[in-house]
Amino acid sequence: MNTVDIAILVAKTLLFYLIVLHVVPIMVWVERRGAALIQDRPGPNRVGPFGLLQPVADFVKFIFKEDPIPTGANRGLFLVAPALILIPASLTLAVLPFGDKVKLFGREILLQVADLDIAILYVLAIGSLGIYGILFGGWASGNKFSLMGALRASSQVISYEIPLGLAAVGAVAVYGTFSLREIALAQDGLWFGWLPRWGIFLQPVGFWLFFIASFAETNRLPFDLPETEAELVAGYHTEYGSMKFGMFMMAEYMNLTTISGVMVTLFFGGWHLPFVADAMLLKWIGSQNLLGLVQVVIFLTKVAIFLCVFVWVRWTVPRFRFDQLMRITWGRLIPLGIVNLLVTAGVMLWLGGWK
Amino acid sequence: MSDIAAGLFGVLTLGCSLGVVFSRNVIMSAFYLILSFFGLAALYVLIQAPFLAVIQVLIYTGAIVVLFVFVVMLIDQDKLLEVVTGKTLVLTAGVLAWSLGLILLRALNHSPMAVPVSGQLPTLRTISLSLFTEYLWPFEVLSVFMLVIIVGVFVLARDKVNA
Repeated sequence: MNTVDIAILVAKTLLFYLIVLHVVPIMVWVERRGAALIQDRPGPNRVGPFGLLQPVADFVKFIFKEDPIPTGANRGLFLVAPALILIPASLTLAVLPFGDKVKLFGREILLQVADLDIAILYVLAIGSLGIYGILFGGWASGNKFSLMGALRASSQVISYEIPLGLAAVGAVAVYGTFSLREIALAQDGLWFGWLPRWGIFLQPVGFWLFFIASFAETNRLPFDLPETEAELVAGYHTEYGSMKFGMFMMAEYMNLTTISGVMVTLFFGGWHLPFVADAMLLKWIGSQNLLGLVQVVIFLTKVAIFLCVFVWVRWTVPRFRFDQLMRITWGRLIPLGIVNLLVTAGVMLWLGGWK
Repeated sequence: MSDIAAGLFGVLTLGCSLGVVFSRNVIMSAFYLILSFFGLAALYVLIQAPFLAVIQVLIYTGAIVVLFVFVVMLIDQDKLLEVVTGKTLVLTAGVLAWSLGLILLRALNHSPMAVPVSGQLPTLRTISLSLFTEYLWPFEVLSVFMLVIIVGVFVLARDKVNA
């Protein structure tokens, strides 16, 4: 690995990190305006055109607010917790394939920070770490509401990791690889001339499981039991103020973005346009580098659609009770996931054995 | 460069392991445990075993320690410290830990070092294939063994609650 390679790696990391970092203020705006739209009220519309500068105003407010540390708090862990939740949220980005590849400086550059051959395991492993920010943040606050929120979060995330993993394993079995890049590559083109070669048509049940579990993994309504403002004030981040609260919020939106990215890659063709094969797109555009850019745009558009779905669901579906939440995963999703995996394996065996 | 990294992560792992043992606060111990598992995972990456590293993070850091923390947060800390710092328990644990350490050391000295065949690193495919063909029997026996342990712990704990 020489200097140029390292420079390219650093540039790629920065580029994709900045892209996803900029999703956060946009999502704050989409969330607030979307909520207003669904609840039939104007929403924030004073700062800038359509209230578009509202996130900037929010950010300035976050920075200048008082930053209290409660007397009963465990100081060290209280300060570390927001970072503990933000770091895993950004680490997952490393394996998301934003596009195929471009040719620059005489070498091929993958539009992905790292093409790991165990990418899906990496996503699951890093995804399971975000819980520590919530757990330690809630405990270190020295507040019973926060502790309850943290305990709820840990049991919820641990439980929903299982259907999430089972759904991902279904996709892995179908594609025969753990690499997200290879999975995305396999979804180019059409079946029978009219059906996009997307994972959702191979693993419809798997997608449904992944989709439901992702709401619980990101602590979003209808599964936002860790923060339930009606019973736990705000759960694990009750005691946090100023930018530390801002970091919890950033982590939430970054988690949403990465899990949407994983869903797009596993089930919705990654960077591929539906009905248009990459080869055909290349012929229209004429340049591999431009195609790479278009692919990134397509990928981000698909992610944006998923983000809007997350907002839409948050403001339409009411919250579940905690025992219902647990019954959904242990009683329904996990058995369904196991059956899905068995059926997948059976069909694959029937269609021609393991590769 | 990888030597420096190995040194750094080794120091991290060992330092945090000491933190686990010497910390008076059980939650802080758990926090150090997570960090030391991370250091261990990084060491696995450095010896070209990324699969092991990811599994280490996924199972130990991501699931088992979460349950530790979960349980510890619900327990009265002062009472817990009273129990775990009792003389008999410390003595028994010490003797057991030293014997386990000696057994491991002996096993390490007397077993041949695993050498990758023809310099090729095991991929995910070869690991899974050997797990599900050559080592299927021990693998299954181990899982049943785990199940027995879980049920056994459950039965023991239940008896105490009822009594």
